[in-house]
Amino acid sequence: MQRELVSFPLSPAVRVKLVAAGFQTAEDILEVKPSELSKEVGISKEEALETLQIVRRECLADKPRCAGTSVTVKKCTALELLEQEHTQGFIITFCSALDNILGGGIPLTKTTEVCGVPGVGKTQLCMQLAVDVQIPECFGGVAGEAVFIDTEGSFMVDRVATLATACIQHLRLIAGAHTDGEHQKALEDFTLENILSHIYYFRCHDYTELLAQVYLLPDFLSDHSKVKLMIIDGIAFPFRHDFDDLSLRTRLLNGLAQQMISLANNHRLAVILTNQMTTKIDKSQALLVPALDLQHCTSRPARRSPQFHFRSRLRDFEMLPSLLLRHRQERL
Amino acid sequence: MGVLRAGLCPGLTEEIVQLLKGQRIKTVADLAAANLEEVAQKCSLSYKALVALRRVLLAQFSAFPLNGADLYEELKTSTAILSTGIGSLDKLLDAGLYTGEVTEIAGGPGSGKTQVCLCVAANVAHGLQQNVLYVDSNGGMTASRLLQLLQARTQDEEKQAGALRRIQVAHAFDIFRMLDMLQDLRGAMAQQATASSGTVKVVIVDSVTAVVAPLLGGQQREGLALMMQLARELKILARDLGAAVVVTNHLTRDRDGRRFKPALGHSWSFVPSTRILLDVLEGAGTLSSSQRTMCLTKSPRQPTGLQEVIDIGTLGTEEQSPALPAEQT
Repeated sequence: MQRELVSFPLSPAVRVKLVAAGFQTAEDILEVKPSELSKEVGISKEEALETLQIVRRECLADKPRCAGTSVTVKKCTALELLEQEHTQGFIITFCSALDNILGGGIPLTKTTEVCGVPGVGKTQLCMQLAVDVQIPECFGGVAGEAVFIDTEGSFMVDRVATLATACIQHLRLIAGAHTDGEHQKALEDFTLENILSHIYYFRCHDYTELLAQVYLLPDFLSDHSKVKLMIIDGIAFPFRHDFDDLSLRTRLLNGLAQQMISLANNHRLAVILTNQMTTKIDKSQALLVPALDLQHCTSRPARRSPQFHFRSRLRDFEMLPSLLLRHRQERL
Repeated sequence: MGVLRAGLCPGLTEEIVQLLKGQRIKTVADLAAANLEEVAQKCSLSYKALVALRRVLLAQFSAFPLNGADLYEELKTSTAILSTGIGSLDKLLDAGLYTGEVTEIAGGPGSGKTQVCLCVAANVAHGLQQNVLYVDSNGGMTASRLLQLLQARTQDEEKQAGALRRIQVAHAFDIFRMLDMLQDLRGAMAQQATASSGTVKVVIVDSVTAVVAPLLGGQQREGLALMMQLARELKILARDLGAAVVVTNHLTRDRDGRRFKPALGHSWSFVPSTRILLDVLEGAGTLSSSQRTMCLTKSPRQPTGLQEVIDIGTLGTEEQSPALPAEQT
């Protein structure tokens, strides 16, 4: 199969030397030994070996007899995908109006964006979800862990402790209504220490730290396979100031969004991003729109991922955090 | 063009390869362009042998011209027009998606591109009973929505399951995985050339901008090359394997910042042969309305500027009811 070397993820320096030596397609390179390749092209033996590994691994996947390695893209039919969607759960938010709008709760393998004016309750919602993701399965939760990446510094541990204690009490009441011991046993592990120790907190001060943290996440997630929720609180904040090159900002955000979606899909977790609001002056009226707004600049796929009917209610969602606050105040 | 190696064709020995390398002739292209008399003198090889060698290599590596009448006959027998399932879209596309061509649907966020793609997939899998490959690069594809669209067409669960089995979904979130996957598809289909069942008739890539946009601009120089590689793969798929390719694209602001145009720039605008722009209906109220306008901006057959209105809430169904869709369970 004639496949150009440009389409492989090789480093640019190596690729330039390969093309100068006359190698243009994968077939030219397949039969060559590493030592011969390094002599002909003028690259080190390690680089030659790495190049051959990349090209061969891709080309080996072309042969249908080879078993699918982690490099090949997995294909599944829509029927299998439907079965997967039915079995995976939602992360409930403990606000029934919100859960109804979302169709059950925050969906796994998708990214959700929460935007609102300052003080409306986005960080509170995220902290609540970090606790809710740990609810055991017999109570309708997903029994997972949470990663919380904070860029604004608004995470407060005492508030999370209060939320966790309230959640434990709520679940105790539910368990009291069930006579079988399954619920009681599940509650034994659901203690304040366990809840707090399963929220992994990262603090990023600027966009470089944020990007670096996101690129390091796949390794972290393979070590901690129980993580089901990733929260980035304040995705707009590091990108809104000190950025002269707007096209670089767009590119970085696009790349970040693709990383998020890829993580959500590969590790089957839910990704939540919070965004600020900004004022847009349009035809002599001022509108409140989400910051880094995708309606009027290049798109951000993260916003597009919410399910179909959720999109149509996005405007209503901005009202909901204020409803949530009122609901909480009534409860307390 | 291939690198010159011993055994590439009869008459090309290792000795000749080394002598030619000494004259800086490393590939077939170099040999085709070289002045053979000079080379024969400097290498002390026979001129006749070099000419014969060049003729054999060119015959091996060049493409053959086809005359217009043969091409027309071939197109008449191999091109198929696949209905999208949306009446107004079929009107814009001149009866439907043509195999052998790339069709682009561009629009802003929330304008309905993924919904149109899902409707096309559902219609081709159920109504036309053909296989579909859906390449998802931004996580917008949900099988539950596909099921909803199929349930609107038929109540028979066996038929729904059959249609869902004909739609293959692949997730590719960066350009290299997408290129791998399209290459794999080409290899698999080339080997199954004789079997008529199991061939993919429609390839939907949703969206192309998500994988290409992070590569373009700034200091990076390979972004454009990778984008054109992707364009080439899609066109080869469409042409050689008789599939209809549908891609979705985002919108970006014009240079003067006022109007919107499809993203990925001028180079990409030559890749699709048909382009449709989706937009929210102006004056239709808030974002909760499901009415969208479709405008034909590029077509090889129809005049551009044609516009139609669709309702993405009730795509592909007979009755176009104005009510919003029910809650997704």
